[in-house]
Amino acid sequence: MMRRRLGPARIALLLHVLAIAFAFGCGGGPPPLNLPPHAMVIRLADADDVPTLDPAAGYDTVSWTFEQAIFDTLVRYGDGNIELEPDIATAWESSPDATTFTFHLRADARFSDGRTVTSEDFRYGIERVLNPATRSRGMEYYRGIAGAADFAAHRNPHVSGIDTPDNSTIVFHLGAPDPIFAHKLAMPFASAIPRDVAEKWGDDFSRHVVGSGAFMLREWIGGQRLVLVRNPYYFAKPLPHLDAIVESVGVNQELQWLRFDAGQIDAVVDIPPAEFPYVMKTPALRKLTLAKTTVTTRYLGMNCQMWPFTDVRVRRALSCAIDRHKLIAILNGRGVVARGVMPPNLPGYDPDLEGYDYDPAKARALLEQAHLARGFEFEIWMRADQTILMLAQSIQQDLAPLGIRARLKPVAWGPFLEAIRQPRTVQSFMQGWEADFPDPENFLGALISRAQWGSNNDSFYSNPEVEQLLAQAEPVADLKKRYALYDQAEKIVVADAPWVFLYYPVTYIIRQPWVHDYVINPMRPTRFEHVWLSPHPD
Amino acid sequence: MLAYLVRRIIFGAAVLVGTSVITFTIAFVVPADPAVAMAGAKADPQTLASIRIEMGLDQPLYVQYARYFDRAIHGDLGRSYIRRESVTRLIADRFPATAVLAGAAMALSLMLGIAMGALAAAYRGRAADNILLVISLALVSIPVFWLGTMLLIAVAAAIRSFPLGGYSGATSLILPTLTLALGSAGYYSRVLHTSLCDAFDQDYVRTARGKGLSRVRVMLKHAMANALLPLVTLAGLDLAGLLSGVVLTETVFNWPGIGRLAAEAIFNLDIPVIMGTVLFSALLIVVVNLLVDLLYAWLDPRIRLAETG
Amino acid sequence: MNIRRLVTLETVGAAMVTVLVIVAIFAPMLAPHDPTIVVAPTFGDPGAPTLAFPMGTDELGRDVLSRIIFGARISLTVGVAAMAVTMTIGIAIGLCSGFFGGAVDFILMRFTDLMLSLPPLLLAMALVAVLRPSLRTIFIVIGLVSWTSIARVVRAETLAMSRRDFVVGAAALGAPSRRLIARHIIPNVLPIIVVMAALRTSDTLLLDAALSFLGLGVPPPTPSWGRMIEEATIYFRTAPWLATFPGLAIFYAVLSFNLLGYGFLRRRSQ
Repeated sequence: MMRRRLGPARIALLLHVLAIAFAFGCGGGPPPLNLPPHAMVIRLADADDVPTLDPAAGYDTVSWTFEQAIFDTLVRYGDGNIELEPDIATAWESSPDATTFTFHLRADARFSDGRTVTSEDFRYGIERVLNPATRSRGMEYYRGIAGAADFAAHRNPHVSGIDTPDNSTIVFHLGAPDPIFAHKLAMPFASAIPRDVAEKWGDDFSRHVVGSGAFMLREWIGGQRLVLVRNPYYFAKPLPHLDAIVESVGVNQELQWLRFDAGQIDAVVDIPPAEFPYVMKTPALRKLTLAKTTVTTRYLGMNCQMWPFTDVRVRRALSCAIDRHKLIAILNGRGVVARGVMPPNLPGYDPDLEGYDYDPAKARALLEQAHLARGFEFEIWMRADQTILMLAQSIQQDLAPLGIRARLKPVAWGPFLEAIRQPRTVQSFMQGWEADFPDPENFLGALISRAQWGSNNDSFYSNPEVEQLLAQAEPVADLKKRYALYDQAEKIVVADAPWVFLYYPVTYIIRQPWVHDYVINPMRPTRFEHVWLSPHPD
Repeated sequence: MLAYLVRRIIFGAAVLVGTSVITFTIAFVVPADPAVAMAGAKADPQTLASIRIEMGLDQPLYVQYARYFDRAIHGDLGRSYIRRESVTRLIADRFPATAVLAGAAMALSLMLGIAMGALAAAYRGRAADNILLVISLALVSIPVFWLGTMLLIAVAAAIRSFPLGGYSGATSLILPTLTLALGSAGYYSRVLHTSLCDAFDQDYVRTARGKGLSRVRVMLKHAMANALLPLVTLAGLDLAGLLSGVVLTETVFNWPGIGRLAAEAIFNLDIPVIMGTVLFSALLIVVVNLLVDLLYAWLDPRIRLAETG
Repeated sequence: MNIRRLVTLETVGAAMVTVLVIVAIFAPMLAPHDPTIVVAPTFGDPGAPTLAFPMGTDELGRDVLSRIIFGARISLTVGVAAMAVTMTIGIAIGLCSGFFGGAVDFILMRFTDLMLSLPPLLLAMALVAVLRPSLRTIFIVIGLVSWTSIARVVRAETLAMSRRDFVVGAAALGAPSRRLIARHIIPNVLPIIVVMAALRTSDTLLLDAALSFLGLGVPPPTPSWGRMIEEATIYFRTAPWLATFPGLAIFYAVLSFNLLGYGFLRRRSQ
């Protein structure tokens, strides 16, 4: 005789109850914000989480957007320009040979926990970056400070080249002249960091940041929301105007647009490509946009050590064979045709540079001279990103009529970088470079010099003449002379065509009519100290 | 029973160790340098070298594994290369969103699946059975990411203020849940149908039928109990799979769950996060397997008898 | 009456698969345009379906219909090749495990359990991402992550077979294992293998489409349905047709193999 089985209805019920209880027991969505009723709050959104708030770690636009709000540096850029202006340092001077830099700090700056900011906090910030245990991406910018190597090798508890004679003075002694050193101190890497807090949290500092900036971290729910509120101790009273910045996470471009359209978001930093033509055609929307040509160059690098790009004629042929206007059309007009290495907005940019025009006949002639009239086959590597792939396919289409067959190799970011840095491995690659500081050295020195082989000069280009000019230009502090030397070097590079200069990206921001004093900076993310909102529907 | 339980737990632990070895091998034998992932696009060789040493990447592989293993059994899965945060914390952050979605999808797919399967079995061999069969095969054949995209298109066109993605309360749950549930519902209905039909052919059901009970009554009273058992196993394993993240649905709907975390980690080659999420999902599968077996024993006394006797 | 008999799951499935194969083989003749070249120079602004381009044009000005027709080639190649890899691994492990039993069985089955507890899509994504996407990488990786269920089924069938009288008898007469497997086991487990192969193909097609959707498929300009959907997602509001048609193509291909597989399965169990 069989035992009585459990009723089937009970099993079904059990399954359902379990599943439903499970679904709703966990709650749904983030908790309410709990801000005062009339708080002035700017609402932003992004697809992914902010990578980090730790100034030593972050090296991307999103992290910097919030690091800039939370932390202060000695000097900073103006809201809409790339001129250095005071942040915590009220005045600064450098020795004529550009090896010693002295900064005088304001006395009324305080961290969001109330403690006064001193020169020690800046020394600690930089030493933290230079300490190998921090694994900071910003190390290289401060290696030029005297004694940095000894500090990194733990032979000295401090960087000997950083002097803090009193609480409001900090002096940097460099091993070699560096006229652009002050710009390196405007990067968030060089923020004032409260030692006690940073050491208490270690690698978790990112979640418990304390800085002296206009805002402070209130709440960060991973994958959902980041909330900054005003720092009551901020030195520049009555700034900031905003009471809070709320960034919702998990909202992709297209959805950001829909929410903006519904008035639920106050600004969108990247208008989705699909909506862009519509925005530009609609005057009411168009006047809400802000455009900036970023200090960025996008290029197709050709490996000068690998066939067929050892031949300058082939490199020039490719430069003539690619229709840059088509690339920009694919980007819905969000780019400027590139003529050289340096982008507009970069001091030292030469607007009269000739570059290469789209000229398939000339390309064909150059290929004939190089005995490649029947074309050839080669590989283009790129990171697996939708926009880059789209552009690469357009390039592929342009080259096909010349008999040139481009094979596309989309790979993940890490393997991509590794591969292109290997000598004689990657024939050509799609890359871009964004300025870290407004100086030609940051393009020509960082990307074109022989010293950067295996690092950022991935086309393995080298020309003794260019090397000499770069070496000559680097220590020159007289800007006019400096830019002239770099300009000379760039002209040679353009003639040698190690890259196909593609375009300088333009980004468009759109903000609601009630958002005021929202300014975009060509090189850095927008700052929020001066932004304010007029009354608006929710 | 206790011996059985102990054996299962030991085996589960072995599976986890195996999983960690496999993921570690994949992560570190492949020709990709984690230091590059960590240092970012612009780092110079000197920075890379320093990071490599700091991360212990210059150590032999077995030393790295031993370290990893030692930390892992203490609950420390390392730190993300990109975000610098503890992987355990990242997973804990993302788990609620995934759990809500998994639970809702499981509930809906079971309801639909059981209803469809039972209906088809009740009309076994008739037109309704065939129609339901084709429907369930169609549901199984729809690519999840496409279904999600299509739902987005349809809803975006129809309802302006509908939340089209992201994680913001109950309404935002509707589309991803539907997307996930429809495919599994088709699958569950097939499984239930098969096992119900098998049950119909068993002697005790035939006897019951012989006694003049109606088909539906017989199904509900006798066949269903046995037929639901395979479904419990399957649903359990699926739930484990869902809880470890649903990459495609979370990608389509920007759902801040573990699936997106894992996908992002893969694209960035953020190895500690990849290993953490894979291990976490293996852990879920092992635990759920164990629970399902216990539930089985509880639901069906014959299994318990067979095990002990 | 006869015609109604003919319309069964497997015949419909077989017919659908045949159409798919024909489209793939004769793609260059069937497609109205080259799938990689510009036919409508409206860059960045996808064109709506018209008489000339019945499925519209994409953001690079290419004909979507032609891309879908050529996409059948890639999907079928990956689907079938991945199925072959899956079946080879699964059958080999299942046969050895079921036939030899004992320690071999124990080790192989524990390994199978181990693989079962790894999430297949994540594993495939990780492998493809680090091995760099190419046609070969993709079908090998799909094969590597999806053989476990085949191994289990084949093992069970083999186990059942090798206990049958005629196998036991042949073994007693001193027939070598290789011969036993080739002569007696394989022919008898073949039917279930065919069913599994059809069902597996539909799964590999889905997995391939998912990888392409995540940007880990065969590199462009080779048209692949999954990638077409991925490229279309940003246009989901302004150009919904871009995502619709390639999805229907995947659905059609997967459904055809599912019908075939379930049809066989049902016939077998009747």
